[in-house]
Amino acid sequence: MSEPTGAMRLPRQLGEVIDRGEPLEFTWNGRPCHGYAGDTIVSALAAAGERVFSRSMKYHRPRGLLTASFHDPGCMVQVGDEPNVRGAHRLAAGGMVVTSQNTWPSLRLDAKSVNGLGGRFLTAGFYYKTFMRPRFAWPAYESVLRRFVNGGTVSPDTPHTRPEKRHAHPDVLIAGGGPAGMAAAISAAEAGASVLLVEEEHGLGGHLRWGSEADLAALAELAGRVAAEPGVEVLTDAVVIARYDGNALAVLERRHGGAEAERLIRTRAKTLVVAPGLIERPYVFAGNDLPGVMLSTAVRRLINLHAVRPGQRAVVLTANPDGDAAIADLKRAGVEVARVEDARLGGDVSAAVGRTGVRAVQVADGTRIDCDLLVTAVGWTAPTSLLNASGDRPVYNPRAARFFPDASRLPGDVLVTGGIAGDGSLEELTEHAAAVGTEAARRAGRIAAARVAATPTRRAAAPLAPGPGAGTGPAAAVMPPDLPVEAHPELFIGRTNGFVDFSEDVSAKDLRAAVAEGYDSAELAKRFTTATMGPLQGKLETVNTVAVVAAATGASIAGTGTTTWRPPYVPVTLGALAGRAFEPVRYSPMQPWHEAHGAVPLVAGAWIRPDHYADPAAEARNVREHVGIIDVTPIGKLDLRGPDVPALLNLLYVNKWSKLGIGRVRYGVMCADDGVVLDDGVTGRLADEHYLMSTTSSGAATVWEWAENWLQTEHPDWRVHITPVTTAYASMNVAGPQARRLIERVTQGVDLSNEEFPYMNVRTGQIAGVDDCVLWRIGFTGELSYELHVPAGYGLHVWETLLDRGADLGIGAFGVEAQRILRLEKGHFIVGQDTDGLTRGFSAGLEWAIKLDKDDFVGKPELAWQFADGSGPRLVGLQPVDRSVVPEVASLIVEGGHIAGRITSSRMSPTLGRSICLAQVEARLAEPGTEVTVRLPSGRLIAATVMPQLAHVDPDGERMRV
Amino acid sequence: MSEPASRGPASTGPGATGPASTVPVARSPIAPPPPVLVLAGWEVSGRRARAGLTLTDCTPLAKVQLRAPVGGGAAAELGVPFGRAARDRDGTLVAGSGPGEWLLLAAPGQGPALAVRATGLASRFPGELATATDITHGRALIRLSGSRGAGVLAKVCGIDTGDDITPDGAAFRCAVAAVATDVIRDDTGGERSYLLHCERSSGAYLFGELLAAGSEFGIEIDGFTPPGI
Amino acid sequence: MTILLPCAWCGPREATEFAHIGEVAARPDPGAVTPAQWREYLYLRANPCGWTSETWYHRMGCRRFIRVERHTETNEVRPVPAAAGARAGEPAP
Repeated sequence: MSEPTGAMRLPRQLGEVIDRGEPLEFTWNGRPCHGYAGDTIVSALAAAGERVFSRSMKYHRPRGLLTASFHDPGCMVQVGDEPNVRGAHRLAAGGMVVTSQNTWPSLRLDAKSVNGLGGRFLTAGFYYKTFMRPRFAWPAYESVLRRFVNGGTVSPDTPHTRPEKRHAHPDVLIAGGGPAGMAAAISAAEAGASVLLVEEEHGLGGHLRWGSEADLAALAELAGRVAAEPGVEVLTDAVVIARYDGNALAVLERRHGGAEAERLIRTRAKTLVVAPGLIERPYVFAGNDLPGVMLSTAVRRLINLHAVRPGQRAVVLTANPDGDAAIADLKRAGVEVARVEDARLGGDVSAAVGRTGVRAVQVADGTRIDCDLLVTAVGWTAPTSLLNASGDRPVYNPRAARFFPDASRLPGDVLVTGGIAGDGSLEELTEHAAAVGTEAARRAGRIAAARVAATPTRRAAAPLAPGPGAGTGPAAAVMPPDLPVEAHPELFIGRTNGFVDFSEDVSAKDLRAAVAEGYDSAELAKRFTTATMGPLQGKLETVNTVAVVAAATGASIAGTGTTTWRPPYVPVTLGALAGRAFEPVRYSPMQPWHEAHGAVPLVAGAWIRPDHYADPAAEARNVREHVGIIDVTPIGKLDLRGPDVPALLNLLYVNKWSKLGIGRVRYGVMCADDGVVLDDGVTGRLADEHYLMSTTSSGAATVWEWAENWLQTEHPDWRVHITPVTTAYASMNVAGPQARRLIERVTQGVDLSNEEFPYMNVRTGQIAGVDDCVLWRIGFTGELSYELHVPAGYGLHVWETLLDRGADLGIGAFGVEAQRILRLEKGHFIVGQDTDGLTRGFSAGLEWAIKLDKDDFVGKPELAWQFADGSGPRLVGLQPVDRSVVPEVASLIVEGGHIAGRITSSRMSPTLGRSICLAQVEARLAEPGTEVTVRLPSGRLIAATVMPQLAHVDPDGERMRV
Repeated sequence: MSEPASRGPASTGPGATGPASTVPVARSPIAPPPPVLVLAGWEVSGRRARAGLTLTDCTPLAKVQLRAPVGGGAAAELGVPFGRAARDRDGTLVAGSGPGEWLLLAAPGQGPALAVRATGLASRFPGELATATDITHGRALIRLSGSRGAGVLAKVCGIDTGDDITPDGAAFRCAVAAVATDVIRDDTGGERSYLLHCERSSGAYLFGELLAAGSEFGIEIDGFTPPGI
Repeated sequence: MTILLPCAWCGPREATEFAHIGEVAARPDPGAVTPAQWREYLYLRANPCGWTSETWYHRMGCRRFIRVERHTETNEVRPVPAAAGARAGEPAP
């Protein structure tokens, strides 16, 4: 039977991950391509004989397979509307539309590859130097350069998704699901720990997956034991992208195929086991980026996992047993191995030659060998990202030619095993890992036991089942002997110039030039050349970069040190980071009525409130002439009980509270200790030791915390209970000349006459059949008004009853805008609108309220000093001389070329038919009758007169006292 | 026992005439999905779920907050420490919701009686400031039931729902979908179940977020059935 | 901040559940204070690189104001023992 999926497809391989029973078809640059389930996009293309998958960033050089893993710099492709897909990792799926990125007009004939001819001019720092002058031309440069950026394209039509996040709390998180990670997981679970095992590849096993028959048997055995452990949760195609203090770990779970591509798991692990294995390092020589130059692990993955023949005729440079194993794999796959250069015996390659792929290789002795494949196995890079994030500084070991963790700097809740910790046989590695897993479980158990002991939810519960949480398991530390470290030749840079950073097109020569220009440390050279700053973030490039800089500066690699790896370890979509944004919204019980009656919503903090239903001016006029009703549920309400409530009120408010009688209500203002106005509202006394405090809507939470802070930290001996009851009550203000007539119709048990229930009093009673309602007689609007607080579940019922029973009285609902007009007519200031973060009490018209003869109250010293020196602006009522002009809020008041104040509130008054304002002005301009100059945003100057008082309507307050 | 409640926009807008409902019916902040019934004086959903994971609006339950000194006589009498919840002889669920703070949950309509009982308890310790507040109308209460309930919580809440830290009977306050929420693990019939208690005005939002988080597990709304605790 | 804060009442909780009130500053006697002393209390903090004593408010949890000592460089946190802290820092019995 012929192979339908391509000329390079091999017969069945022992460890292959493709399902030959499930063929699939997708398109590559518009042409159909066949593969099998289990193929990556690039393995399917390679099976079909494709060698070039992208063009490089700067020089537009053709690029092919290098690592055959997620971290393959040449294999980024566009899939549908998703850019920058890692093609050597992403599994192929039927119907995928795959295109190459950064190519024009096509991948084969890329016009921009002329960059390559002029490459010697595009040296390090070229962009910085060339496009800086003349400065004004940068926008033009930028628009051209943008087209040369090698990202994919983002579609504006991509559906918007809200990726989910979740939290996880494993005892032990194991980063890396190779043999070491699996062995650690098994032993940790056997010790009773809950384990999250996170593996970047599509399956567990690490290098065993593309290994020998014995490796595959070992993998099957380990995988079986992992699967049999109920305490182990396995995540494949997932990566630990970051570690923060206390093992806060961000785990990225990829979920391909759905609208939700990635999900973030916010993990708080008690211990972390770092077992990511090793990343094979490329070699630097001329032509090292040509399609057909591959790492030994890449050819082993292609052959053993995907049954793809990587080439026809190969040259192999090997310095280690993995390279030797690749040679055996190549031979078995029918690839002619034309030459083996053994670096351990002095072998080397000096150049790969070709235009769109390798056609020949020149080896150390000068021989030129025709071939289409060059395989290198020159050593390993330890991916120490999570160790860096744990405060570790990896140390270079020249004997092994790689960096190792510095055990002395690792925190106690981070452990290391596997290839990153050392070498050795599979048995040695898994033994080490098993011991590390047991120790990780033991340490997790100690941490868990401490947390359980500190947590009250655990108390009096059933005794813990045996496990780490119970503090059982081995009592003493189990630390295995260190893994052996095998010698490896130090092979970084060959004799010729080649690429160090494939993603950024940075060559060894560029780095040497950077050092010559004075950027003589790894960190500086990195920033100047952008080496290690591309999509791979140094996974392939870091150590070679350090080696070049070390050689150029004459320092050792150990002395040069690595650049620091910072999170995230791999790219993460912004959607996954953002996740489902929790934005709580709050509604009043009357919200269904507002919606049904066309209320225009106003977003006020978390609250959704009706701004207006129709014309706000008409709504305001109706309050003055008949009666209106407004939903004021968001007004903050605090239930205060206890013998020391008066002391608390005296402390928090600037005015006096000792003699408030039962049934009485008083207005109060709070300042902070810097004397700045914090909040205002009224407080009523319902019973002997029972008060109800109201706050501004936006200040409800602040005042509650403010009061608790003073109680808990300054006066813990005071006996006061504060309970927030803001939304226990539906609150509505009934205001207007007809208010009493309406309230009388629905209220039982309260004498509403002005004599029995005068202004600034509070009563409780039954409204519309609902018990336990609270009625305040107060007047923010300046009219006769009753503020009703009814148990919230009945709010809609009472609201509807009032509107029904008030129909003949001309009742109309009004919104926040009409209320703002009414209060401005009345000259009532709003904290945060007519005051700001610098407005002290005497700047808010509060001379009458501030009682400096009280023993102490919050803000008293500053207010006393302000009273003494008369400093700060003053709040005044302002009347534009041209009565038709409404100066915008924040219009400036100017005086002799200086700013002397500002308009804080302004409206056209429907009651007076003229403009009205409140303003903050310098104290010397605050005298009634003073004419000031207001500068409108247009620049026009108008005259305005300071009023004798803040109120424009009914300054004597007769209307609300009737 | 039950009667259909009038739904839809009120017919009593400005200028409209006609009688409003005369018998007060209490409403939850969470709009009940049809069929809508009135049970125990509250408008509730008559829907019955078939799924293994359910969300129920339990707002009609009576809720009383009791405050008393930590380590005092009233606290000892209650016998439930901060962090734990248990039922008393009358079947009232008593939760130690904060330091010196208890949440009492009982069948609908029991609020005043519960408050009186709590006040009575307080009055036996005259040296202590002990107060009871009926917060039935001030809070929303939601029950999340089913073995996947912990999975739903893990999407909206950072607390460890494992048995080590939060076993059956655990009571703790934390952020759930960014809303401060009292969570009580109150397993029913051996199955995992959580009560979530928050400010009334945030109830509709929280219910919606829990439904959204549970959709991948097949969550369904189940109506409230008295006594419901 | 992703640290775990040891709430004396609730046990370890994510710092995101708390409001950071800031370095502990004693309020001078308002009856006998100079402007300079008062403004030092209002605005001036030591902000050390090392151990500092802070107040946090457990807004999403027990709603207690708690005292902790935090190392500003390592974010290591330790609760203040009841005797040394305000009553607000007292652990549950």
